[in-house]
Amino acid sequence: MEWSIHGNANAARGIAGLPPEILFSRRYVGNEFCEHLIPSPDALRRALDDRLPLTLLTPYVSDRGVARLASLFAILPPGAEVAFSDWGVLNVLRRDFPALVPVQGRLLHKALRDPRVMELFSDPLPALRQSTVENHSYREMLRGLGVRRVELDALPQGFDAALPPAPVSVYLPYGFVSTSRVCQAAGLHYRKERKFQPGAPCRHECQTHQVVFTYANSPFQNQDQQFLLKGNTYFYRQTEAAIASILALAGAGAVDRLVIQPELPMHVLGAAA
Amino acid sequence: MKVLAPIRSLDELEMLHTAGAQELYCGLAPREWVDENPGPLWLHRRSPKGSSVESWADMRELADAARLRGLPLFATLNAPSYGPTQAPQVLRFAQRLSEECGVDALIIADVNLLAQAASLRLNARLHVSSVAATLNTEAIRFLAGLGASRVILPRSVTLAEIEHITGQTKDLVEIEVFALNDGCAFEEGFCSTTHHHSVGAFCTSLSGMKADFAWSGKYFSSRRERWLRANLEDYRAWVWYLTGNGCSATAKGLPYGPCALCALHDLARFGVASLKVVGRESSPFRKLASVRMVRHIADQVHARTARPVIIGNARALRQEPEHCDAGYMCYYQTAP
Repeated sequence: MEWSIHGNANAARGIAGLPPEILFSRRYVGNEFCEHLIPSPDALRRALDDRLPLTLLTPYVSDRGVARLASLFAILPPGAEVAFSDWGVLNVLRRDFPALVPVQGRLLHKALRDPRVMELFSDPLPALRQSTVENHSYREMLRGLGVRRVELDALPQGFDAALPPAPVSVYLPYGFVSTSRVCQAAGLHYRKERKFQPGAPCRHECQTHQVVFTYANSPFQNQDQQFLLKGNTYFYRQTEAAIASILALAGAGAVDRLVIQPELPMHVLGAAA
Repeated sequence: MKVLAPIRSLDELEMLHTAGAQELYCGLAPREWVDENPGPLWLHRRSPKGSSVESWADMRELADAARLRGLPLFATLNAPSYGPTQAPQVLRFAQRLSEECGVDALIIADVNLLAQAASLRLNARLHVSSVAATLNTEAIRFLAGLGASRVILPRSVTLAEIEHITGQTKDLVEIEVFALNDGCAFEEGFCSTTHHHSVGAFCTSLSGMKADFAWSGKYFSSRRERWLRANLEDYRAWVWYLTGNGCSATAKGLPYGPCALCALHDLARFGVASLKVVGRESSPFRKLASVRMVRHIADQVHARTARPVIIGNARALRQEPEHCDAGYMCYYQTAP
C-alpha cells in the first residue's frame, strides 16, 4: 500500500484516524478543481526536484486550460502520472503524450456523495454505494484507453464490497461535494452586476479564506454537519469511522494507494505553506 | 437553429408544436425502474413523479404522434453514473427506446453507457448530456470517437468558448446550448448531491445554512468580515436568479431566467444547432410560455433582424428590465 501526500506532509501528523507517522512514497501536485490553480511551468519544474515520484492533478478545463496543461505535460518525465478530471485532457494525453501515465481522477468518480442525507444512508441500497467504475465494461474501456488507475472519494455511505480489481486510490480526509466554474470568492473583486461569471479571471481570493457552512436547517439529526467552501469547491470532512473503513479496505488489498490532503486541496503550488 | 422543448406526456404535444417547438425531449420512468430504485435513485435526473412519461405504451404513443408531426423526439438516460446493479437494465431501456419506441436520439451522460449504446448500433442517435461536463474541443473529439453525434454544452460554457468550440468541431458533432429556464450554481456534471425532496438542491439549501468565515491571514477585522458577508449575500441573490427568480413568473406569466434570448443572434452565427428549453417537470403553461419566447426571438434571428434590435426585443419581452440589468439572469452575458 502506497501513501501519497498532496500538500504539507508535516500537517498530516495528527489527522484523526490516521497513523501518527506516515512514510510517504509519492507526491501529488496541481489542482483537481480550478483552472486558475493550474501550476506555472516554473513551479512544476521545482516540484520535479523532489525525490518522490510525482502525480500531477488536473482540473476540468476550457480550451485555454487544455493548452496550459499541455505545456505542463511537456515538462513531465516519462512515466509521470497525470490524474485527469476531463475527457478532453485524456484525449490530449493519449494523442500527444503517450509516455505519461493517465489516471482517472476522483471528479470522474460519479457516485452520489451528499452528507446532507446521511440518515437516508443508514441502510443504503447497493446502487447508492456504486458508480460506473464498478462496471466490468467500463474497466475494460479504461484499460483500452490506457488508463492505469482510478481515484475515488471515500463515500459517506461507504462502498459496495467490490471495488474494481485494478489500482485504486482513495483521498483522505476530505471529500468533495460540488464544484463550479463560478467562484464565489472570485466575486469579491468584481462590481455586483459582473460577479459570478463562469471562468472569470481572479486574484486567487480563495487563498485568503474559506467559508464554513453549518447545516443548521437540516430536516434530519445532522444539524452540525459542515460544508467547507474553498474557492469554487465545497468539501466535507470524512468521519473517523469512514477513514477507518477505508484503512480496512486498504488492509484487505482493495485500495492500494491513499492520497492524504492535510489541508483543503486548493493551494497554489509553490506558494508558502 | 431549432427550438428543443421538454415534454412529459402526449397531452402537451399539440400545444408545444403550435407554440413553435421543433424538437422534443422527455424522460421515461417505467414501473420496473421505479419498483427497483426507490428514493433518490432516479433514472434520468428527475423524480419519477410528475416529470416523466410513465409507461412504455405511453412512450410509444408519444413517439408515434411526434413523428406524425415531424418532430424529432429524444429520450433522457442522463444520470451521471449507473453502477453494475443498474447498468444492464439501463442499456436494455436504451435499446427499447430506440428500437421499439423509435425515439430519434438518446441523451446520455455516463461514458460507459454511451460506449455500450454505440456498440449496439441503435437507430437512435446519441446525444451527450450537459451532465457529462463537456467543456472543450478535445472532450468533444473524445466523445465523437465514442459515437456521439450531438453534444449539449453545459451552462457554464461562455459565448466566446461556444464560438471557438463550434468553429473547431462543426464537422464532428452538432452543438446544443441552453436557451431558457433553470440554472445550476455548480458544474452540473461535478455536483455529487441529490435534489431529493427531503433536502432540495444543495445550492438553494446553502442559502439557509449558517455561514462563518475562516480567514487565513493575521488580521480578520469586522470590516473584512462585512466584505465577505456582502459577497455571500450577492451570491445568494445570484442563486435566487438561477431558480427563475425564486420559481416565479412575470405578471403576464412569462418565466424569468436564466435566459439566453439576447445571445440568440450570436449563437446562430456560431452555428449552434439547437436551443434547449429546460423544464421537463414544469407546468404546461410554463413550457408553453417558454417555447413561445424562444421561438419568437429565434424567428427574428432567422429573418436576419439586426443584432441590436434582437437584443432590445429580447429585453422587452418581460417588460422588467431591472432583472436583465441585474446581470444575474443571463446564461451568457452579452455585449450590447
